[in-house]
Amino acid sequence: MWGNWSMPSMPSRMDSDLFVTGCGVLSAVGQGKDAFLAALLAGDQAFGVMERPGRNNGTAFLGAELSALDMPERFPGKLLRTVGLSGRAALLTLHEAWEEARLLDADPLRIGLVVGGSNIQQRELALKHETYQGRLDYLPPTYGLSFMDSDLCGLCSEQFGIRGLAHTVGGASASGQVAVIEAARLVRSGEADICIAVGALTDLSYWELQGLRSLGAMGSDRFAGEPALACRPFDERRDGFIFGEACGAVVVERRATAAERGVEPYAKLAGWAMALDGNRNPDPSAAGETRAIEQALTRARLTAPQIDYVNPHGTGSGVGDPVELAAIRGCGLDRAAINATKSITGHGLAAAGTVEVVATLLQMKASRLHPTRNLEQPLDPEMNWVRDKAVTQEIGHALTLSVGFGGVNTALCLSATES
Amino acid sequence: MTAQRHAEIFALVQNNIYEVLPDVEGREIKPGDRLTDLGANSVDRAEIVMLAMEALSLHIQRVELSGVKNVGELVDALYAKSHGQ
Repeated sequence: MWGNWSMPSMPSRMDSDLFVTGCGVLSAVGQGKDAFLAALLAGDQAFGVMERPGRNNGTAFLGAELSALDMPERFPGKLLRTVGLSGRAALLTLHEAWEEARLLDADPLRIGLVVGGSNIQQRELALKHETYQGRLDYLPPTYGLSFMDSDLCGLCSEQFGIRGLAHTVGGASASGQVAVIEAARLVRSGEADICIAVGALTDLSYWELQGLRSLGAMGSDRFAGEPALACRPFDERRDGFIFGEACGAVVVERRATAAERGVEPYAKLAGWAMALDGNRNPDPSAAGETRAIEQALTRARLTAPQIDYVNPHGTGSGVGDPVELAAIRGCGLDRAAINATKSITGHGLAAAGTVEVVATLLQMKASRLHPTRNLEQPLDPEMNWVRDKAVTQEIGHALTLSVGFGGVNTALCLSATES
Repeated sequence: MTAQRHAEIFALVQNNIYEVLPDVEGREIKPGDRLTDLGANSVDRAEIVMLAMEALSLHIQRVELSGVKNVGELVDALYAKSHGQ
């Protein structure tokens, strides 16, 4: 009716298919995509007693901490002086994703940013509380900025010149995947042409660690003498998750905008879903996880037998792991290959969902699946586990799952671009 | 001794400026220099003042320094406060 001569690019720009066109990742086993994938495939680990200031206070919690971050020169020293670990990790992963997706060539007014995570800089705050207790007058003014999670939005948008929109989203341990889902929604709705999701490094202090231990969610000291054995998702001898510092970033857009910059997508974001249990507590529900999986598959127009690989939430939780396996099996996904990224990285909490999307994308691209550490007696031995060694496998369609306290269940389907 | 104390506070402020603004480190700071011209934004200026206050154990309301125009005036104000004026 209007003729299509006026905006020839509109049909492809309005194409509903969304793709991931760049990613960045940090974990204790590897910083950057290449090191991260190599560490995953080798089944590396970096668990030990955590030693970062603000994380011990007489405790000796096991976890995996990042080695020193090598910040690119684009970030000035003046800035970094007041940026904590979560902020630095966000800048670094965003930098990696930004370069890969060549976003310097994109319109900054059409780029959005979603940061997944809530209360992400608790360790930095605990340190400030200790230092300035009784000397409140000398609290650094930047505390007034950094206590807010949205500080990461300001920090990243300033440093990368993002001028579209930015906000945070929270979904407990599903936050990272909720951020990817929100980024997809923003591109699909047309509010942004390109949206970056960052799963923020959750910088826990001894307060949060103790709370998670008291709650029964975090693993015990049973493996204090052998930290490499402590993190054991889906194994009979698991007794809770083991924390691991991590951060991830992914770029979501349509194929047409990526093509304008000559960028090839990793994979299609074929479908996603979020389903609630209506439950404030940490206990999971197979019914809720099942609904998330089924809705994601339906929206991706896929059936369970088409899924080649499942990247589960799999934390090593006493209750969470068997419930998740029941949901996966109940959905008919028992043929799909399955491993547990957290057995290698530890649980990044808010970061986990994004980091595991990156892990899935990298495995799809390499046609390799990483092993699962410490899976000596699998809860469900009949599942198609990748156990001791990495395997070669073509992955046409993958499903990655996240679960968060407060009854949050999410599922995301990723499809190879050829399919 | 008074001039010496004033010079000490100036040196302290200069070091605080170097800490908050690493790009100007090593450059001679003059009393007439404005923090803004040295590259400080409003948060940087607040950080520099706070570091000086902490080192001198002073308690100064932000508003009391609102009329300060340059590094020399900041040092004068800190000096005056540290001598109970």
